[in-house]
Amino acid sequence: MSSEPLNLPQGWEARWDAQSSAYIYIDQSTGQAQWELPTQPSYPTSHHSTSSSAPAPAPAPAPVSRPGRRHYPTAQIQQMYAGGGYDQPPPVQPLAPGYGDQTHVAPQFFTPGMADVQQAQIPQGQFQQPAYGQQPAYPQEKGVDQMTNQFQNMQMGYRAGATYGDQKQLHSIQTVNLIGMQPDVRGLDSPPPAALLAPNAAVTQSPHIQPDPSYQRCTLAAMPTTQSLLNKSKLPLALVLAPYRSVREVDDDMPVPVVEDSVIARCRRCRAYINPFVTFIEGGNRWKCCMCGLSNEVPQLFDWDQRENKPADRWGRKELNHAVVEYIAPTEYMVRPPQPPVYAFVIDVSQSAVQSGMVATAARTILENLDNLPNADKRTKIAIIAVSTSLHFMSLPPGSTEASMLVVSDLTDVFLPKPVDLLVNLTESRPAIETLLGRLSDMFQEPQVGNALGSALQAAHQLIGKIGGKIIALTSCLPSLGEGALKARDDPKLLGTSKESSLLNAASSWYKTFAIECSKQQVAVDMFLFSASYTDVATLSCLPRYTAGQTYLYPGFNASRSEDAIKFATEFGRVLSMPIGLEAVIRVRATRGIRLAAFHGNFFIRSTDLLALPVVPMDQNYVIELQLEDDVKATTVVIQTAVLHTTCFGERRIRVITQAMPTTDSIAEMYGSADQIAIASYLVSKSVEKSMTSSLDDARNLIINKLSDMLTVFKNQVTSSAGASAQLAVPDNLKLLPLLMCGLVKHVGLREGVSIPPDLRSYAQALLTTLPCQSLIPYIHPIFYSLHNMSPDAGTVGPDGHMVLPPALNLTSERLERHGLFFIEDGQNMFLWVGHEAVPRLIQDVFDLPSYAELTGGKYTLPVLDNPFNQRVNNIVAKTRELRRGVYRQHLYVVKSDAEPALRSWALSCLIEDRMDKMGSYAQFLTQVKNKVSRV
Amino acid sequence: MGGEGWLFLFAVLMAAVLLFTMVFFIIMFSDLECDYINPIDLCNKLNQFVLPEMIAHAFLTLCFLLSGQFIAFLLNAPLVGYNVNKIMAKNHMYDATEIFRTLSGHKKESFIKLGFYLVSFFYYLYRMILALISESD
Repeated sequence: MSSEPLNLPQGWEARWDAQSSAYIYIDQSTGQAQWELPTQPSYPTSHHSTSSSAPAPAPAPAPVSRPGRRHYPTAQIQQMYAGGGYDQPPPVQPLAPGYGDQTHVAPQFFTPGMADVQQAQIPQGQFQQPAYGQQPAYPQEKGVDQMTNQFQNMQMGYRAGATYGDQKQLHSIQTVNLIGMQPDVRGLDSPPPAALLAPNAAVTQSPHIQPDPSYQRCTLAAMPTTQSLLNKSKLPLALVLAPYRSVREVDDDMPVPVVEDSVIARCRRCRAYINPFVTFIEGGNRWKCCMCGLSNEVPQLFDWDQRENKPADRWGRKELNHAVVEYIAPTEYMVRPPQPPVYAFVIDVSQSAVQSGMVATAARTILENLDNLPNADKRTKIAIIAVSTSLHFMSLPPGSTEASMLVVSDLTDVFLPKPVDLLVNLTESRPAIETLLGRLSDMFQEPQVGNALGSALQAAHQLIGKIGGKIIALTSCLPSLGEGALKARDDPKLLGTSKESSLLNAASSWYKTFAIECSKQQVAVDMFLFSASYTDVATLSCLPRYTAGQTYLYPGFNASRSEDAIKFATEFGRVLSMPIGLEAVIRVRATRGIRLAAFHGNFFIRSTDLLALPVVPMDQNYVIELQLEDDVKATTVVIQTAVLHTTCFGERRIRVITQAMPTTDSIAEMYGSADQIAIASYLVSKSVEKSMTSSLDDARNLIINKLSDMLTVFKNQVTSSAGASAQLAVPDNLKLLPLLMCGLVKHVGLREGVSIPPDLRSYAQALLTTLPCQSLIPYIHPIFYSLHNMSPDAGTVGPDGHMVLPPALNLTSERLERHGLFFIEDGQNMFLWVGHEAVPRLIQDVFDLPSYAELTGGKYTLPVLDNPFNQRVNNIVAKTRELRRGVYRQHLYVVKSDAEPALRSWALSCLIEDRMDKMGSYAQFLTQVKNKVSRV
Repeated sequence: MGGEGWLFLFAVLMAAVLLFTMVFFIIMFSDLECDYINPIDLCNKLNQFVLPEMIAHAFLTLCFLLSGQFIAFLLNAPLVGYNVNKIMAKNHMYDATEIFRTLSGHKKESFIKLGFYLVSFFYYLYRMILALISESD
């Protein structure tokens, strides 16, 4: 509000108002004044509805600023007295350009004389706007266009066609038939159905009162009122969260607003944080909790600007305007002073690790990223343990340039050989660390076979356990010695049988017990696995799973292949430089009646509603199932996630994400508001869990059953067409769910087959349960572009400043052409498919090779050439890499359509609409679902 | 008092002890639900009792078998079989990482066992009295 009046649009004038120390903006043509910076030129309109009291042409008298005097949302009050009420759209924000005939924005300013009325009114409490249904109907002459505009202004959603004027807005349900139709894959990017909140649900009209779906989304945007209704609808009710997701400029993300004055208003009873959906009562002195209904006092300093030492505008507070906010927590939220970030590297230096070049690449990457490690306040600590048949502790005395190595060969009863200098301050011991990393791989040249990883992890845990932090373990062979030794148990005979799921479960309970120890002491473990052979990912990934770490697998890693080295170095570097949150807990609170039933993701469940994460990594996904234990009586339910964590720069912070949605008692409305991406995400977690507790068969059946149950209810209850029919009806907003489920059933994590190594399966499952939606969807439904015939602007920067990508194609090999060049990407790998009749010119342009015959398939680095087509292809590859959140850097494979059958069939397995081995095509999948649906 | 009387007196006492163990388990589970105890402590505490409880029950059953009390033996044999099966599958211990997912199952199991021990307690009591009466005749 107090921003400089630079670049005012035409027709506006800014005047300084001394009393309120802010600019007031005056529309010179209409004389209207407002506090907000206008974004749109003003031009005289003949619009009649200046229903509000005419604004003073002179600077409006500033709000009476008696100390302690409260400020009220002038815009709302104005509406109250405007008579017309909804004659004009509620002033949410200056209109976006393009909505021509509605240039008129109700001014948000304080009107003289209003103050009295306001005071008189307030004791009656609650800035209730008249109930929506009582409003006179919209004037007829306002066309449909305008209605849509109003719709958008109210942030009600972008889906035109919802019924209007009813007591409550409802999602319109368009039924789509799936059989015989090609799915429109572009719909995967469309936003989920919006929660149609009543217009007076929130106390402010900010556009940010609902979180971006990437932070938190619910499978339903309308909450059923009873559990029996939920059961009857067969729709899952779950929350999909990625509270600590990355904020990137390329995505035009808004940084999370931070409430800096440590005034944290919370409900006394349910401990919910104040949010836009509370109501202020008793003249604004108290607020009523939106979850439990308790009336709480507004904190003394809530309306006080502590920096400027003057009264502040309550309605400008970030927690009342944003769904995602971060508080800086005072000392009551700390168990101990904020700890420094601590990294302990456990590096396997056995023969295979040294030979594959893993040790050298890892050491170089750490060395290069020493500056990028979160170390804002120079407190970051670091320890390095090398492990093979014995433990090699590195003593890194501060100030010295020499590092020394201490070898401990007692693996059963691990002890630290030295009390100091093993865990050292990064800044103080920098020279020693650099020397050590420079020659780490040379130190272990004599071959040592065997890996005492478990003992090394215990040692690292002893080393950093007092502070907590992160253990980063890099290992290239199965732990074979000491604690937690494992045996190769990948019996190929088990694959494809019901016993296969035993290979997806941990072989030894040591890793679970150790994970609990780590979690207790705030230690997280990241596993980097470089296997030439079986490394038992299923068991080793237990540690990251329960300590909120992450598993990374590099099958057949060999650093002499530059692609491998780059991929690992990039991902490892991103993990190192990631700004992590330490000692975190996540708690989800919801309106009374809603209960958290189950949790999926990487964390330790410390109590029925508290998730413990020693470290919160960025871009990790959590799925929480909800149940209704009581009937929900409120008309709006609020679900609030709070992540209490210590930032890596030593601040205790609470990130709060608040989401609100209306309740409904109609199954049709539940179907109309269902979010296919969230449902897919829920079913992914659920089926992976099933594959571990039961069998892969059961997991696949679970997916098909859940899907057909939903479609049955939809058919019988919503479209009310019982009996068999040739159609498979789905609501428009769920039309891609069957496609995603078809992709999931065929995904390497769940696919039927006897040739998938258990390591790859386990790793795929670990990814399925942790990837944020934005990367998960391409992981189960890859992106497919045709490059040889893309439009001339694809791969160039478009007029809006974003890279233009070719249109996504359906994942079927019908689209492949013999002379073409295609691009397939699943978030983890990219394939450039080259048809065997590709013209030499194309090969020349892209790969700088004379002909198709010269081209060899496999991992590839595209050359950068001086021709526009090559640059556009490179741009598309680069843009796709940049697009995905998370640390992963996709390998690029060149696939020749007539060579390397293994690689070829791998690439073809991404085309999920096709038949594959035993699994049918998408059409057959639909038929299978349809048969189940019509059987009921 | 003859052998049978002593056996059932012992069985009554064992059944009472097992009964209390189950009550303890159930109380601990509801403590967990109410957040009075964290899952790690809970599992550490309960896991101490899992094997003793199973061994005690198996010992009692063995006593019935050796002393020829076949009805009492048959009554207890299914539970022994169930316990052995659990130990073979290595899922007899409570796992802190999975406890919330499996909590309802554990509670149900504890309640069924509680009911079973209660019934067997009265049965043993009845048999003990029966044995005593027949002796005194």
